[in-house]
Amino acid sequence: MSVVREKNISKHLTQLEKTNVITPDDVLRLNKISENYLCTPDANIYEIDFTRFKIRDLESGAILFEISKPVTENLENVSEENIENNEPIDPNSGRFVRYQFTPQFLKLKTVGATVEFTVGSRPVNRFRMIERHFFRDKLLKTFDFEFGFCIPYSRNTCEHIYEFPTLSEDIVAEMITNPFETRSDSFYFVDDCLIMHNKADYAYNGGVQT
Amino acid sequence: MGFLTVLKKMKQKEKEIRILMLGLDNAGKTTILKRFNGEPIDTISPTLGFNIKTLEHKGFKLNMWDVGGQKSLRSYWRNYFECTDGLIWVVDSADKRRLEDCKKELYVLLQEERLAGATLLIFANKQDLPGACTVEELKDILDLESIKTHHWKIVSCSAVTGENLLKGIDWIVEDIAARIFTLD
Repeated sequence: MSVVREKNISKHLTQLEKTNVITPDDVLRLNKISENYLCTPDANIYEIDFTRFKIRDLESGAILFEISKPVTENLENVSEENIENNEPIDPNSGRFVRYQFTPQFLKLKTVGATVEFTVGSRPVNRFRMIERHFFRDKLLKTFDFEFGFCIPYSRNTCEHIYEFPTLSEDIVAEMITNPFETRSDSFYFVDDCLIMHNKADYAYNGGVQT
Repeated sequence: MGFLTVLKKMKQKEKEIRILMLGLDNAGKTTILKRFNGEPIDTISPTLGFNIKTLEHKGFKLNMWDVGGQKSLRSYWRNYFECTDGLIWVVDSADKRRLEDCKKELYVLLQEERLAGATLLIFANKQDLPGACTVEELKDILDLESIKTHHWKIVSCSAVTGENLLKGIDWIVEDIAARIFTLD
């Protein structure tokens, strides 16, 4: 039974990569992390740019993680450096983030996860985010949220405040001893058409002797 | 089963409430949102788009939308009306010069068909400032008693001290819940 399902899923994945338009239903059906990016970086014709990620603990108020893009003035210097170093620019850089946390992170009760993004010159309709978190093939959490309309040249933020999913002690222990096997896919749609796909992986063994 | 019944049932399943927070620029919308959610309020700049918070409150899933109030952004407000259960209109009670402007914008919203079913909470914000209008004065200046189309209430508050924010939001959530989730 499970073999048949596996086959169907991989067939489904191959089909997804072949078709041009990926819809929310397509990614909601996935029951594991996708192997590849399901759209190219060029699919983002709306110039949507993520400029900040933040995670805070609602109970203590502490900011657990924050990363923000420098303002565009600094970008010129960055690109010059790249040219001097003569390094090939990875087209997928900026689509992947690696998070390293301590085991304490898995004990949090209520967290707030903020994203900030800017939008280019075109108005954006029905902007929707679907984010799926897996440990190996176990689905831990799905976020499915429609931002709706975004104003041209706007800067927007969204914070999801949520109860951390309750995980069994066994799973928690496994997540700690198996760094980067907790992974997430973030899919972004405009008018039901995939325009961005970001990936992340997570370790929870910070400060633990291995 | 009518369409409305179906809608009611769908919303009831998730107990989701959508609240739209509007008002003139510098009224304190973002500060209210942040203060209510326990975030620092010392580095707030004008909103050039929206700020959303999704949170659990009293067993409901609240989606709160704060959209920038600058004049150039107000024509975009209509893009956020759809499915709104509650409208929070934020007033800078100390900015007496602009209360007429504030009243004009509020009445434009109240004629909007897609907000027809929404509960209206008016936050008389910035009560911590000297010279702030009282709730009674604002009722008069904004002619609130003439509003017959919406359930409404005005609550004096201060986003800086946090005074009455919970009181106002509890009221709007209870009013919406009584209208939408009556099948419980």
